[in-house]
Amino acid sequence: MNVPTHAAASRTTDRALSVHGVAVFLFLYVPILLLVVFSFSGASNLSVWGGWSLRWYQKMFSNDPLLRSMRNSVVVAVVSTGISTVLGTAAALALERYRRWLGKRTFDALLYLPVIIPDVTMGVMLLMWFTTISWPLSLTTIILSHIAFNISFVAIVVRARLANLDPSLEEAAADLYADRWQAFRRVTLPLIMPGIVGGALLALTLSLDDVVITSLVQGPGSTTLPVFVFGLIKRQVTPEINAVSTVMLLASMVLVFGSLAFQRDTKAEPSPEAP
Amino acid sequence: MTVAVGLHGVTKRFGDVAAVDSVDLEVADGEFFSLLGPSGCGKTTTLRMIAGLEFPTEGSIRIFGEEVALAPPNKRPVNTVFQSYALFPHMTVAENVGFGLAMCKVPDTELRRRVAEAIELVRLGGMEHRRPTQLSGGQQQRVALARALVNRPKVLLLDEPLGALDLKLRQAMQVELKDIQREVGITFVYVTHDQEEALTMSDRIGVMNEGRLLQVGTAEDIYERPANRFVADFIGETNFLEGVIVAEGHVEIGSSHRVRAQTNAPVGTAVTLMLRPEKIQIHRLEEVVDGRNRLEGTVQHRLYFGDSLFYQIELATGDMIDVRVENVPSLPRWDAGQRIAVSFHHDAADALTE
Repeated sequence: MNVPTHAAASRTTDRALSVHGVAVFLFLYVPILLLVVFSFSGASNLSVWGGWSLRWYQKMFSNDPLLRSMRNSVVVAVVSTGISTVLGTAAALALERYRRWLGKRTFDALLYLPVIIPDVTMGVMLLMWFTTISWPLSLTTIILSHIAFNISFVAIVVRARLANLDPSLEEAAADLYADRWQAFRRVTLPLIMPGIVGGALLALTLSLDDVVITSLVQGPGSTTLPVFVFGLIKRQVTPEINAVSTVMLLASMVLVFGSLAFQRDTKAEPSPEAP
Repeated sequence: MTVAVGLHGVTKRFGDVAAVDSVDLEVADGEFFSLLGPSGCGKTTTLRMIAGLEFPTEGSIRIFGEEVALAPPNKRPVNTVFQSYALFPHMTVAENVGFGLAMCKVPDTELRRRVAEAIELVRLGGMEHRRPTQLSGGQQQRVALARALVNRPKVLLLDEPLGALDLKLRQAMQVELKDIQREVGITFVYVTHDQEEALTMSDRIGVMNEGRLLQVGTAEDIYERPANRFVADFIGETNFLEGVIVAEGHVEIGSSHRVRAQTNAPVGTAVTLMLRPEKIQIHRLEEVVDGRNRLEGTVQHRLYFGDSLFYQIELATGDMIDVRVENVPSLPRWDAGQRIAVSFHHDAADALTE
């Protein structure tokens, strides 16, 4: 084997890979950077730079329909995340911990459905359902719809965590005189908490982000922020949209860093192998 | 004798399979009792039924006279040391050990005192605030033991607790476990597939296979007087020679070789003669053997084990047997192909009818 040629080839590969890495980063982050920069542009058109200005932020915070949609988004996200986290965790526990019960396989398959089927299908189905039972479309129907798809995501994330949990830990708790609630509260729950938090954050993000389903099941005055922004773009594109997007970006970053900090707190200390 | 654990007609079926098949067993108070058998023999299922982690399909389980067959695990005065230790990874050593006491609402000062005592008992002083992941396998094993013993259970159940440890540590822990059992005086029910562990530690042993309890007795009972071929084969190394009873206490093997053996079976019964390799001696052909059974044969192989020598010998009857000879000074060596005679005392030859 020709060693020098091989080494040269590997150097070329290394260089190509690092160029590729930089390119990926640029591809991901340049648009975001541009979006943030242009939110501070004074011009009313996105194609020109109008000098530094906060006018679009001012405009945004005096835009009542936009603020209402923002508030709606937060209400929908918080309520639907709360409820779907509890129900999704319960579903994960039922599927992972109780081995045999009637209809388990059916339920298992059904649980994945909201993840697989297109949002449009899901939205139309929900809309038809609400119409059939004559439930007026409102913020409540949005919340119910978001719960409907978020349960699946939470359940999947929590199940992954539960599957890695040694079942003998619960047996040990029971053996040490814990009743079922105490075993759950003191052993299972703390150990699957990172999964629950992860699932909840995913639910929160999906809810804040949803356009398709929400736009189908919303009622008058119950528009959420992403749907509202989507509507704005159809009319005219101004840096106000950039300002809104920057605020949303900031909010998601706070959420992500918050969850990272939480997970660092709950994780066990590094585990050096003791002698 | 106070019966600590009593099993009567206990059967556990998983679907059509009987994992445990009508087991009757009484473990005495203060006894170190081992359930020994190959994997899948039902020993762990039996232990789990005593713990309350499985419920019997049929039968009764009593702990100090109290019927518990269908009681949940937290209502039984027993604690378990799990094979995987099952330590709570999000709790420190002290929190793990104190878990059972906290569940029983033991007052804080007493809890702390008893946790400290238990940690001292298993010699883990100074490790109280470590997490299980920061401990070695042997230390985790001690935490599991302390966590169970601190509750002062009436019976301690141990499910292959030394299985995950390496040989040296396992041997040290065997001695330590036995010492701790003597110190606390609690009945131990110990599940293992390791015959050496069972023989050295136990007051009595129950040998299981395919869900059935085949024999219960002391280590010596089981080794010297196995109830059947499975027990003889599972515990230690054994030679089996097929034969027929031809007179009271006499077995014919091959076509014309007659030996004396331990048996009450009537004339004409087909038996299996069980002969431990270390109870056979090898002699020169011309050597006179008095009062012992003598058979002739040829050495096929010699294996050197350091502390002993192992010979494979083809007997004149056509049977192959193994003979183990302790490696003592001036031991004669027999070579492959050499014609020799073997001898054994009739007490050492057990004629098994099943």
